[in-house]
Parts: sequence; C-alpha cells; structure tokens
Amino acid sequence: MTEVSDEAASQAITVLLVEDDAPTLWRLQDALTKSGFEVTAAATLAEARACLTGSGPKVLLTDLQLPDGHGIELIRETRQRFPETEIMVISILGDEASVISAITVGATGYLLKDAFPTDIAQTVRDLVAGHSPISASIARFIVRRTQSQAEPPPGPPLDTVKLTPREIDILWGIAKGFSYAEIAEHLGISRQTVPGHIKNIYRKLEVHTRGEAVFEALQQGLIRL
Amino acid sequence: VKDDVAANPGFSIPEHRRLRVARFAQYILIQALIAVACFFALRQSLPEPAARYLVSEFSAKEGGSERAITLPHYTSSRFSLDDPPLYSGHFAWPGGEAQGAWSVYLPRFSNGVEVAVNGVVILDSRRDPVANRPDRNAPEIAVIPGSLLREGANDLTIRLLVWGPLTGFLDSVYVGPDQILRPYYEQRTLLFVTLPVVFSAWQAILAVILAIMWAVRRHEPAYGILAAAMALGVAQSFLPTAVEQSQYSRLNAVLITSAPIESAFVLTFAMLFLGLRWPRYGALIFAPGLILVALSLFGDQALVSEAFVLLGVPAIGIYMLLLALIVARAVWKRHDVASFVLGCAVTVVLAGWIHDALAVLQMTPDRRIFIARLSYSVMLVAIGAGLTWRFARALNQVDSFAGRLVTQVRQAEDKLKESFVREEERARAAALALERTRLMRDLHDGLGGQLVSIVALSERGDAGVPIGDAARAALKDLRLVIDSMDDIGGDLMLALGSWRERATAQLRPHDIALDWRALSPQGLPVHPELRPWHVIQIVRLLDEAVTNAVKHADAHRITVTIETLADASGFAYGRITVDDDGKGFALAPDGAAAADKKAARGLRNMRSRATRCGIELELVSGAGGTRVRLTLPRRFPDSDTAGA
Repeated sequence: MTEVSDEAASQAITVLLVEDDAPTLWRLQDALTKSGFEVTAAATLAEARACLTGSGPKVLLTDLQLPDGHGIELIRETRQRFPETEIMVISILGDEASVISAITVGATGYLLKDAFPTDIAQTVRDLVAGHSPISASIARFIVRRTQSQAEPPPGPPLDTVKLTPREIDILWGIAKGFSYAEIAEHLGISRQTVPGHIKNIYRKLEVHTRGEAVFEALQQGLIRL
Repeated sequence: VKDDVAANPGFSIPEHRRLRVARFAQYILIQALIAVACFFALRQSLPEPAARYLVSEFSAKEGGSERAITLPHYTSSRFSLDDPPLYSGHFAWPGGEAQGAWSVYLPRFSNGVEVAVNGVVILDSRRDPVANRPDRNAPEIAVIPGSLLREGANDLTIRLLVWGPLTGFLDSVYVGPDQILRPYYEQRTLLFVTLPVVFSAWQAILAVILAIMWAVRRHEPAYGILAAAMALGVAQSFLPTAVEQSQYSRLNAVLITSAPIESAFVLTFAMLFLGLRWPRYGALIFAPGLILVALSLFGDQALVSEAFVLLGVPAIGIYMLLLALIVARAVWKRHDVASFVLGCAVTVVLAGWIHDALAVLQMTPDRRIFIARLSYSVMLVAIGAGLTWRFARALNQVDSFAGRLVTQVRQAEDKLKESFVREEERARAAALALERTRLMRDLHDGLGGQLVSIVALSERGDAGVPIGDAARAALKDLRLVIDSMDDIGGDLMLALGSWRERATAQLRPHDIALDWRALSPQGLPVHPELRPWHVIQIVRLLDEAVTNAVKHADAHRITVTIETLADASGFAYGRITVDDDGKGFALAPDGAAAADKKAARGLRNMRSRATRCGIELELVSGAGGTRVRLTLPRRFPDSDTAGA
C-alpha cells in the first residue's frame, strides 16, 4: 500500500461530494477538507450535474437517494463522461442492494456515513492510489452469486461470469475476513497484486449498457444480465 | 335379485320383477320365432333338375324278391353289403354329338351306391370318403362314357350298399346332359361338403384360441372344456368312416362316435360359463359318450352304429334340451348379450336336431337330409361372437378401469399437492413468525436500548457525554442484524469476515490492534443448520468480548483465533478464542465478575447467549489478560435451549 501522507500530494485531489443530508454533508466535508482534499459539495442531482460541466473531479462521492433523482444516474453519467474519475457510494449500511447496483454502473466501493474522519480520508486516499476497497459483505454477495444456484438469489442482478477462479478465490478470502497479505500468502501470489485484482473485479462487474432502455430494464429488474 | 335392486335403487321389487318377466317373455318369443323360421326354412326343398331328366321308375330286387318301385325309396334292411338291393331302370338317350356328355346324378343316397350303365359300372361311391358318412348329405355325379350310350333306351342299374346304422335310402336319380345336371350337383356339394369343411376349419381355429385362453387363464376351466369339445368336433369332421377294417378304424370309430362326448363338453362349458353350480351327478352326462367309446373299441361295427343311433343321438338331443334350459335360466337371471346369443344358437341347433330325428324316424316327407351338423355351425359362430364380445367388453372394462384409475390418481395427486402447498405455506408462515419474533427481540435488546440511551443522553444536554458512541453502537447493531439476515450458506466464516471489518473500525480510534489468526485454511466447519439468530448471538458474544477488552481491560492488542478441531469420534467442531493483553478482572466463585456491576451483567449476558446456541463458553481472566473461548457445538440447536 502506497501511503499518501504528504499533504501537498493530496492538494490537487478534487472531490465532488453529493449528499442531501446537511449534517452528514458537513461531517464528510470536514473530514476530507481537513485531510487536504479540495471538496465541492452538492445536495441534489441538479447541483452535482452543474458541477460536472467542466473537467471531471478526481473523486466522486455520492449518496444514492437524492431529492431530485437517483445517485446511480449520476454515477453512470460520470463514468461515461470522465472515465478517470474514481467513484464511491456513500451508504448508511453498506447494504448489498445499493452498493452492487452502484458497482454495476461504475462505482468502485462505498463509504459508510458514520465512518471515523480518519478512515474517511484514508479510504479516499487509497482509492486515488488505485486501491479500490471491497468489504467482506460485498465480497460475500459477489461470491455467493458465482455459486451455481437453481433460482437466482434475491438482490440486484449481477453478472459474474467474467470473473476468473483466482479473482473468486480472492473474493472468498475477503468475505471470510482474511487480510490481503493472508490471501496473497494462501494463494501464492504477491501481496501487491491483490489490489489490482480487486480493481479488475470491479471493472468486470460493471455493465456496459448500450442504451437507455437496457439500463432502465436492468434497474427495474426486468432483465437479468 | 337383491344385487340388481341395489344396482337400480329406483325400481321397486314388483316393478323390477315385472320388467324381468317381460324381458324373459321377449326372449321366449324370439326363440319361438327362430324355431318357426327354421321350420319354414327346412320346408324349402333344394332346387332340382327338370323333371324330364328324372328316372324314378325302377324295379327293385331286394332280399330275393323283385318289385316295381318309384324313387325315393327306403330299404327295409339296415345292412345289405352281402346282398345289396339292386334297382334296375331305363333312360332314353336321343343320340348325336350335339347332346354333349351325359351324366348320372344322385342327389342323395345312403349309405353307398354302385351305378352301372348298360351293365358297365361307372361309379362306386365307396371310393369317396365324404359320401360314406351317413350324416353328411353328399351327392354324387358320374359322366357316362359316350361309348356306352346307345341311341334310344339304355339300362341303368344302381346297387344300394347299406351298412347302417340307418336303413338304406335312394332319392330320385337324374340322367341327362352333364352341363345341365352338374350345377345342381355343385350346389349340393357346396352346401353339404364344402360348407362343413369351412365350419370345421373355423372350429379348429376356435379350438386353438380356446386352448390358448385356457392355458393362460387356468382358473377358467370353461374355456379348456370348450376347447376339448371343439377339438373333438374337428376330429370327427375330418376322419373318414371306416368301411373296411384297418389299423386305425377302431380309433376312427371312437372319434366318430364321440359326438355325445362333444355335446356333453358343450353342456359342461355352458354350465361353467353361465355360472351354474355343478350338480352332484353331473359327470353322468359323459356316460353315454363313454359307453359308445367303449363299444367302438371292443364291439363290432354294426353294434356301434346301432348304439350310436339308439343312445348317442337321443343323448345329444337331451343335452341340447338341457342346454336350452340352462341358457334360458341364464337369460332370466343375467339377461346379458352372451347368454342371449347362445340361446338363439341353441334353438337353431335344437330345431335341426328335431328335424333330423324326425327324418331318421321317417316321419317327415323330407328326403333324409340331415342338418344337425350344419346347424351346429350356427352355435360355433355364436360361440366365436360371444368370445369376441366378452373380449371386447373386458378390454373396455380395462380401459374404463384404467381411465378411472388415472382420474383417481390425478385427483389424489392434486389433493396431495394442495395439502402440500398448504402445509408448506403454514410451515413458511410459522418460520417467518419465529424469525420475526427473534428479530424483534434482537432489535429490542440491541438497537432499541441504544436508541433509548441516545435519547436519554441528548436530553441531559451535557456536551461531555458520548452520544456518538451510543449512536455508533446502534448503527453497528443495525448492520449486524441486517448482515446476519443474509444467506451465508452455513459458513460462519462469512459472518466473521464482516465482523472483523466492523471490529477493526471500532478498535482503530482506541489504538487497539486486532490480530486475526485462522489456524486452518477453511476456518470453521460449515453448519447447514446455522440460522441468522445463531449468527447474531455469536457476533454479539464476540462484540461483548471486544467491548469488555476496550472498556474495562485497557488492552492494546486483541487476538482472535479461529480453528477447527476434531473430537474423539473424529467429528469436526469449531472454536473461536478472543484474547486480550489487558489487566483482566477478578471472577467471583460462581464465575460471574464480582467487581464491576456493568461488567458482571455483560458476562451474564454472554453466558445466556452461549447457552441458547449450544456454545460452550470459557472465561479465563488474570493479570496477563482475558481469554474468552467459544467452543461451537457439533450441531446448532433448532430452538433456544434456554428459552429466554
């Protein structure tokens, strides 16, 4: 893990923070600003879109439930317009339903709303450094989906066929609470390659929709990819 | 009667009886009609050639005396092979080639004839086996060689050979152009020679079918008996009458005289087939037949013939009468198609038999045409039809039975499915209610208490109090409950993975490190019976251990060790150990922590949770730290063992 402890290095990092609950917004903004990030705050989808007119931010942190729309739309738009932008979901519970839908449109992880300020800054820093975090419960959700089941389990649709056995092994390790080092040792791979694998997993879970209709159908659970 | 009434509950008994009488009367009427029809049919004489070819004036020399007679003529003797009656007559031949060949046509004679024209024998019927059977009505025709014929009057002599059992008989004789006489001959041959052969073939087929039926269905001897009757009938038809003594003549005689046995078999069949109780002396019906067989084996031919006429023929008649009565009774009792058809056939045969008996007794003007054997064919057809009808009905019954069975099975299946669905729904509802109860209790125990505590803290308005901690604990608990509801397929490690994340996040602000040691690669054994509430209890237990280490022990490092062990019988079980390097606490003799009241309550809680899940909880605390060890059960209990 490359530590970005240097404040000057994080000076250039721009963060677009979209959160409709004012206290939560202040809290997250405080935590990030104190760590040296350049934060732009937005409370609605419209405000967020207005902020995205110019060049894209380095990081997009967004809540899913917004007063004038859904965060999923924002993530998808951002992912299409600014492929370099790292995207994270702000979630209260880190529940699979919302996080997995965000992942399928291009998010690479989530941030809990009640996380400690240091953890918030650290998570974003890691994300920028190329370390997409993945929680045990999300990993668990994904690997459970890779197991062949007669009936599709409840939850958002997820296509796991592109995942390699190695990536699934890594997800199993994470789901069972093992650290990257433990997983790397167990699988006989270099510890440094684990974050790369996780990034690949996120990319493979992303659904590259060809049109609005497909996206809508996906959202409404009409089709399963 | 009772059964029928039960089957038709709409009928009162008198009405039912009236209906039955009416039906029976109908049957009797039909039989009477058949008898009348037979009578008129038999009155019809067969077509004969033109009268101008008739030669009926003969002088008969019989027993030394000679006298003029007119054909047809019955001899007085029953046996005349030594000195056969000689009939001499004349016929006129117009001469010329235009006439074509001339023939002598004898429509009926018994038992044999030797025909000579102008002193030259042109026909001896004894060479024709069919003609030798007195019960057949075989005609004969012989072409007169042209060289024998003289223009004008020609001599015709007929020697009538009689060997019993009946007196000799010579019907009218025709002499005329062959092309005129032959069609009449052919007609009689078709009726009295070819047709019986066809029926015998049919009888042979019936015999084979019935024998197979009996072989397959041994519990129905009626078919075997009928097969025997048919076989006997076939043997009789195809065997030649023994005129001269030969190696097999005795055997032939036995078979030919077996007609009473055949009739007895038919009678037996009818009794069995129509469900009659076998009478005590029933076997007596075979007596006449057996006596005849014995006679034909040991007696002389004349005696056998005599006995056949005197014993066999009346016996057959009596059996036919009995048969008619039995069938009538069956019609009365069962009024089914089979007995009805059989009854009609019996009536026809009986009519034929009466006709023949009258002919033998020379009480009819008929010219000794025997039709009993021919009428028996009607019975064969009836039996064949009856069998086919029964077979078809059995097939229909099987079909309808199969159909009913299919319907019943489907209904039963539907019912079962319904009850299964109901049961499943009930079970699902019960499980849901149970899960809901547990969830409510868990939320009450954890989240509820913490939220109340937050309310209380916020109302005090004291800035120093840790509202954040309480709120965080509440959120953590909410996440735990939600997390534990997820399907982890019995792999507790998946739940522990999430817990590790949460615990690490919880410990980070306190500068406490969380060491994670999984001693076996798979971690813990998989428990398919693991339920969400078990997971909640285990995670709460671990949470309490960690919270105690943070709040009371002042620890810097917490180590979680996960291992799979095997007991004496090789059964795998899991063990989770939480060690801290804190200052520990003193335990009271009863195992509860004495010092801190809050800690004591925490420990009591832990014990209660462990008991509910069947977990063995081990608490060791000392100066070097505290160890909480959870030994997981081989199998998690279905319901709370503590009940609380």
